[in-house]
Formats: sequence, structure tokens, C-alpha cells
Amino acid sequence: MNVCVFIPTAAEPWPENATLYQPLKEDQILLSDCASSLAVQAYLRMCGLPVQVVCRANAEYMSPSGKIPFIHVGNQVVSELGPIVQFTKAKGHSLSDGLDDVQRAEMKAYMELVNNMLLTAELFIQWCDDATAAEISRPRYSSPYSWPLNNILAYQKQWEVRRKMNAIGWGGKTLEQVYEDVSQCCQALSQRLGTQPYFFSKQPTELDALVFGHLFTIITTRLTSGELAERIKGFSNLLSFCRRIEQTYFEDKTKNTKLSKFV
Amino acid sequence: MAAALELRCWGGDWGLPSVHSESLVVLAYSKFSGAKLTVCPIDWTWKTITASVPELLCGDAVVQEPAQILHFLRKQRFNADYELTARQGADTMAYIALLEEKLRPALLHTFWVDAENYSNLTRPWFASRSPFPLNFVVPSRQASAALSRILVTKGEAPLHRISEVEGKIYSDAKECLNLLSYRLGKTKYFFGNSPSSLDAFVFGFLAPLFKATLPSSTLQSHLKQLDNLTHFCDNILAVYFSAQNPNGRQPARQPSAQNPQS
Repeated sequence: MNVCVFIPTAAEPWPENATLYQPLKEDQILLSDCASSLAVQAYLRMCGLPVQVVCRANAEYMSPSGKIPFIHVGNQVVSELGPIVQFTKAKGHSLSDGLDDVQRAEMKAYMELVNNMLLTAELFIQWCDDATAAEISRPRYSSPYSWPLNNILAYQKQWEVRRKMNAIGWGGKTLEQVYEDVSQCCQALSQRLGTQPYFFSKQPTELDALVFGHLFTIITTRLTSGELAERIKGFSNLLSFCRRIEQTYFEDKTKNTKLSKFV
Repeated sequence: MAAALELRCWGGDWGLPSVHSESLVVLAYSKFSGAKLTVCPIDWTWKTITASVPELLCGDAVVQEPAQILHFLRKQRFNADYELTARQGADTMAYIALLEEKLRPALLHTFWVDAENYSNLTRPWFASRSPFPLNFVVPSRQASAALSRILVTKGEAPLHRISEVEGKIYSDAKECLNLLSYRLGKTKYFFGNSPSSLDAFVFGFLAPLFKATLPSSTLQSHLKQLDNLTHFCDNILAVYFSAQNPNGRQPARQPSAQNPQS
């Protein structure tokens, strides 16, 4: 039973006061959550659906599934990109209607690749690499809380993530192997993208939003080591893909695009 | 060229060379790529509890996990993917990720967590293939590993109990099967006329689900409705694992699909 179940209300239009919740941007949010949030924001902008981004320290606990981000639309709360895509589809907004069955299968497969490789790698680097966990992840994750709650919550989250990594067989990996996996994933994405503007020719789909969210966040986030960002910057078509989406859908945010100094 | 290749895996039943998905992936790939493997089933040995299955031994090298083993075989020049374009290689990675994320949890559940299937099929099978006293230990250890894997990866709060997760993982798995069916279409293999590593992975995951005599499985009935996937499995069994061809090493270049039996 999917907790994000909703009653399709196609009759109700998208309200003006739809909000997206995420953790505090400056101090608290981590790489993986920032990537997921940016993916959802990109998707909603591609659909032309307005949404306000609100930062809350307890966003993770407010979310119905415990995952970031979640959106509050009318009287419904939906979290994670997959259910949000289904939700907007029920309201009549979809980016992948023009795809045939085989293309849709491909799109879903590539989205799983991104979740399986990129998101898992982000979580690994954040929580299983001791240097990053100690210098960045634990302090940031627990910044809104006072002692001793901050320590307890940070270590609890770290333990949860490490348990998950062990369950899927990533527990024994080294950082170098994880970087290599990310490179292979980016190579697959780069080859699939080729010279097209978007993954499925001329129109963006949720896959483009997801890839943009992750790649852009990795490139523009400062970690203990810049190796991950460097590996991605090695793929020029992915860089120009990110820049294109940033300019097309996010240009009102910053005049000088953040990516301009990398291309 | 290379030292002798030896594969440790679980034995076969139900018309399959091995009942274990990951072992089946490696066996299928070795047939597709023409690698001659000596298959050493770990049934009835103490390796049922000590070995991590599947395991490839080549000289001094020991390789585990299907993806690593396939990578090793490719480095030894047993490559079933050499005809694929770069884009098809990328598609392979994506579809394998889809199988891992969407299908594997439901397969684990069907065989190891579902009470009826586990007590009537899986546990007796694995217990009968393990030496005393491991027959008391091996099946339950694998079952609890499967349950914890499902809960840890899919059962995030507030879905703490397995009954709540079940609905989600089965609907994801059925969708995954549908997507594979759309992608395969009417072709014999996923990429053209000769099988590749993606075919090996799909075969490895689907064949046990298709062939096992499960007392109760909605997922199996769903799979049996998808004719092109069932024909895909039967075709590979007939061409590469038939009785007339037990050590059948089909060279990768020949269009073996046309003349399966000599």
C-alpha cells in the first residue's frame, strides 16, 4: 500500500500556493537531498507548474514517506519524484505522454539507473566515507538541534544509511570504486544523450529533470574532495545539458549562471 | 589462453541448470560468450554455508558477484557484447538497474518470504541439498537475509512491516515485467539476433520465476501471461542448455538460433 496514495482529482486545477518543502538550504541540506529536491523543482518548472520552495529544519519528519522533498498541493501531500510525477499526471500535466511503450520502458530504466548508481553513490560518499561524514554530513545534518540531540540524530542517520549500503552490497566498496561506478553511470548517460538537446529528442521528460538535479548538484557542491565533480565534468555533453536546462528553466534565479565558469 | 575456469553455484532443478538467479546469469553468459566453465555445484557440501555464490575460480583469482564475474570474463576475451553499440551498452546498464531495483525485491519475497512458497518449495529444496546439520541452518539464514534486504531497501518509514511493503514491491515487479515485455517486443533477444549480457541477466532473473513449481504466486501468473518473455526463456533453454547440448558451447559468432539441434 503506497502511503502516497491520492484520489485523482483531475478536476481541480493546480493551485497558486503549492509549496515544496526541503531542509534548510544554507546550513542543513545534504548533497543527496539537494539533488532530489532540485530534480523535483526542475520537473515542476518543465511542466509549467508554479511552486514555492520553503525550507524547514524538520522537513524530513514532515514528509509522509520520510524522504525529501515533498510538495503540499491543496489538501494533499506527496513526496519523492515518482509519486509526484503520477500526481501531476492525474491533474493532467505530463511530460512523457508523447513517448511510446518502448521509449517509456527506456525512460524508466534510465531513471532506475540514476537512482541505483548516482543517488546511492551520493549517500555512500556522504555517510560511509569517514572524512566526509565527520567534516560535512554529521555537522550539517544536526545543525538545527542542540546537544545531545544533534549527536544522536546524526549517528542514527549514519547507522541507517550504512545498514542500507551493506544490504545492497555496497558496504565493502572503497571510495575509488564508487567514483568508478559514477563514471560508468555518467558514461552511459552521456552515450544515451549523444548530441540531442534532451534524452528523448526535443522535449524534456522526468528523466531529464532527474539527471539535471543530480549532476548539477554534484558539480556545484563543495565536498572534501573534488574528484566526483571532476569526473562528471569530463563529459562535455552532460555539462552543456545541465547548462541548457539551467538557462531555460532557472534563469530567473541567477543572472550569472553557476555553470558558466565550468564550460 | 586462460587457466581453467571453475564456477561454484547452486545445482539445477525444474528444467534449469541452476535454481539460483545469480548463478544462472553467469551460466547463461558463459554459454553466450563461448567460455568453457567447469560447473561445480555446491550442493551437499559445506560450501553451502561458507561460499558466497556464485564464485568463479581461475588460477589464483577468485571473483564473486555476477557483474564482477562478467567483467572478468570479458577481460579474458569472452565477450558476448562486442557487437553492441555504445548506446546499447548504456541501455544494458539501465535495464540491469531496473531489474535490480524493481524485480529483485519481489523475487526474494516470492521465494523466501511468502510463507506458502517458502515452506512448500524453497526450504525443502535447499534443505535437501545441504548436508546435515546445515539443512537446519542454510535455508533460514537465507530467508532472514532476504527479508532484511527487502525491509532495509524498500521498507522505509512508515512502511515498517512486510505486509505493507508487499503491495508496493509486487506492483513495481509487475510493471517491470511489462516494461521488459515492451522492450523485447517480437525479437528473439534484446539486441538483435545474438544474446548479450542483458539477455543473461533477464534470463537469470526470470527463468526461476517461470519454471519453479510455486504453490501460490501472482507474479508467476503475471509472467506467464507475457508470451514473449516466456518464449525468450524457453528459447534460451532449448538453444543453450538442451539435453543434446549439455556442454553446448555455442560460439558467439554463429547465428545459433536458426539451427538449435544438429
